[in-house]
Amino acid sequence: MARVIGLDKFVRLIQIIRHNGGIFKSLRALYLREELKIGTLVGEDKYGNRYYENNEYFIGRNRWIEYADHVRLEYDASQVPVEWYGWLHYKTDLPPHKDPNRPKYKWMLQEHEPNLSGTNKIYVPYSTTRPKIEAWKP
Amino acid sequence: MLRLPLVRATGLSSSRLGAVGLHTTGSKSQASQELVEVFIDDKPVQVPPGTTVLQAAAKAGVEIPRFCYHERLAVAGNCRMCLVEIEKQIKPVAACAMPVMKGWRVKTNSDLTRKAREGVMEFLLVNHPLDCPICDQGGECDLQDQSMAFGNDRSRFTDIEFSGKRAVEDKDIGPLIKTVMTRCIHCTRCIRFASEVAGLDDLGTTGRGNDMQVGTYVEKMFLSELSGNVIDLCPVGALTNKPYAFVARPWENRRTDSIDVLDAVGSNIVVSSRTGEVLRILPRVNEDVNEEWLSDKSRFACDGLKRQRIITPMIKIAGKLQSVAWEDALVTAAKALQTVAGNEGAVIAGKLADAEALIALKDLFNKLGSEVLATEQGFPKDGSGIDLRSSYLLNNTIAGIEEADVVLLIGTNPRYEAPLVNTRLRKGYLHGEQTIALIGPNIDLSYEYENLGDSIDIITKLKNGSHPFSATLKNAKKPLIILGAEQLTRKDGAKIVSETQALANTLGNNVQASEDWKVLNVLHTNASQVAALDLGYGSTIEDVKQQQPKVLFLLGADDANIKKEDFPNTFIIYLGSHGDQGATIADVVLAGAAYTEKTGSYVNTEGRAQQTGAALTPPGMARPDWKVIRALSEIAGHRLPYDNITEVRSRLEEVAPHIVRYGDVEPANFFAQAHELAKQTGGSFLPDPVDIKQKTLDQFFMTDVISRASPTMAKCVQAAIKQRQTEL
Repeated sequence: MARVIGLDKFVRLIQIIRHNGGIFKSLRALYLREELKIGTLVGEDKYGNRYYENNEYFIGRNRWIEYADHVRLEYDASQVPVEWYGWLHYKTDLPPHKDPNRPKYKWMLQEHEPNLSGTNKIYVPYSTTRPKIEAWKP
Repeated sequence: MLRLPLVRATGLSSSRLGAVGLHTTGSKSQASQELVEVFIDDKPVQVPPGTTVLQAAAKAGVEIPRFCYHERLAVAGNCRMCLVEIEKQIKPVAACAMPVMKGWRVKTNSDLTRKAREGVMEFLLVNHPLDCPICDQGGECDLQDQSMAFGNDRSRFTDIEFSGKRAVEDKDIGPLIKTVMTRCIHCTRCIRFASEVAGLDDLGTTGRGNDMQVGTYVEKMFLSELSGNVIDLCPVGALTNKPYAFVARPWENRRTDSIDVLDAVGSNIVVSSRTGEVLRILPRVNEDVNEEWLSDKSRFACDGLKRQRIITPMIKIAGKLQSVAWEDALVTAAKALQTVAGNEGAVIAGKLADAEALIALKDLFNKLGSEVLATEQGFPKDGSGIDLRSSYLLNNTIAGIEEADVVLLIGTNPRYEAPLVNTRLRKGYLHGEQTIALIGPNIDLSYEYENLGDSIDIITKLKNGSHPFSATLKNAKKPLIILGAEQLTRKDGAKIVSETQALANTLGNNVQASEDWKVLNVLHTNASQVAALDLGYGSTIEDVKQQQPKVLFLLGADDANIKKEDFPNTFIIYLGSHGDQGATIADVVLAGAAYTEKTGSYVNTEGRAQQTGAALTPPGMARPDWKVIRALSEIAGHRLPYDNITEVRSRLEEVAPHIVRYGDVEPANFFAQAHELAKQTGGSFLPDPVDIKQKTLDQFFMTDVISRASPTMAKCVQAAIKQRQTEL
């Protein structure tokens, strides 16, 4: 009966809001991520990003990340560190803290670097051709 | 004229043709003769006798193809491309060398003519490489064009195995001209140009038939102040522009008509530019100024426009010039200007300054109360000074030099100071039997002249008649005195001017030539000089040094020979395009535009106003000079009342109306008055001999900021020095 009149959707909404910590926190989550989900916290990386899983959702939407709180809206997919990248993209089902066999090579970056485009640390290429006009250097 | 007076062309004449009776006026009498009627493709034309078939056809509007014929060179008649059929003659005749006869019927498009042309073209192409895709002449090649228009559409050339097509070794004839001698079609234009116009018998042919080669006989460079013109003359890609090699195709360049400012002749040029760079400079025909030639400095110094440029304003901070924003530089300069009262400010205008900048700067400093406006090359103030234009112009015009019968050069080397004035003198010498004499050091003028010595008091002796040459001068029908502007900067410059004026006056009184024949001429070396004098830049650098101004404004003054030590307590502002001597001593450097980047008015040495065209925008933050001065004036609190170039020019028109009458010579004719005023000039000649700065070719190439910044010019100087050392 409840399904017929759509009451279960309402119950689900209440559950989600409760899971997200109340109306205000839910509104904030909506503002930041434009969606509200229920999921189990799988882990957290050292940058503060939280990883969730909920297999009720279909594949592609069942694993997600909530970026660290301090980045607010300035989040970017390149902020996902390498160790979590594989889990998030279904390369592996074992999150990094449950996987003892992960190789560590010397050539791997010690510290994850996100894409710095749009910040003041942006990479600017320089021209290697001779300038058309050579300026006078006093 | 079919043949040159060969004796003079080969330089074999030894005795000076001093007697006036020998001077012919042949060209005038010819015009009065009866005209003959000929028919070009059945179209009647009236031409004077002695006209060639080719010229008559040109008059009828029919262009006959040619390679070797060039209207400014002697007729050679060796390419045979101009063969035409003439009725009742068995064989086709070379139109360029055949004078017309009365009633001739010339057929320029008959079967015989076409067959003859196709045959000639076929032979030329058999011996010409098929390298048009990699040839720099592509697009402006006479052979390409004429083989399309007049050649056959099929070839009998069967040697596709390359068993023996003619090949000639390339020659190294200097840093300016690239040679690919296999492409040469032996038109001999370059040889004739060298011996007739440039006066250099370096080029010639060796061998004959299939083995004929154009070259320099011995391994030698073809170095002349006019050598670049053979590039334009060459109908094929045998002689091409070396700095421009493989740079661009002519159809992709933007062409801007402009004026050359590297000497005071004001040659008309076309600036070829592309992608924000000046790629090359070509001459533009102006019969009154440069005909169709251009000096090497004007043609090849354009790569100096890309080097040593001031692209940002600078301020001297802690003894070192540092790039700043316009606002900071202008405010600093304006603060200095605000301290100026009366003659505490001074201006030195450089040799490349345009009239717009000159008038803006003069207005600004006059508003500040200063009258110390100097040019790099001062003009003495005594007598009439710069008040009468006739005392500082090349009054008789550049084209008028050809007509003179006796020319006296005083302290000038026109060959390097104004190469295109020298071509006029050489032309007069070759065709008009001009007698030329020089007071000055022994130099090579490319024609014979009499050196009267290097003592300046010869002018007085000539005036008094106590010098052997004065008889020749007095008997001359059209005498001409050309005074080098460089001599006027001597300490006794005023005396030189007054004595020369007196000499010109005595000659002028007994000349039977027409009223407008002007004996006194001053040959300037700086492009900005005449406009500056017209606008009232009357001070000299000595005045500025004496004044010890609080603020000194250098408008592109890099050759003023001033040092920081001369002005220990002076704030120096420099406005110009290149970093050179002026910018290094400055406290504030303002970035100006070079002559290819602004529309500027210039007055050449004969008083002809012309304007440059802006081919590019100034690089970086640089701006046209007058705009910088206008901005500075507003910040300094003396706003100049013009906001665009039209308003500046109407201000120019108020001060000197002739400067905006572009293309015209504004004549000046107050010789008698100038002479009267000059009589008061005291002083006496100094014993120093007359000296000329540019005596040899290596001194010609680098005379201003642009040519000093040019790597090509540096190579030319090296080549000229090397050549001279090997000759010694």
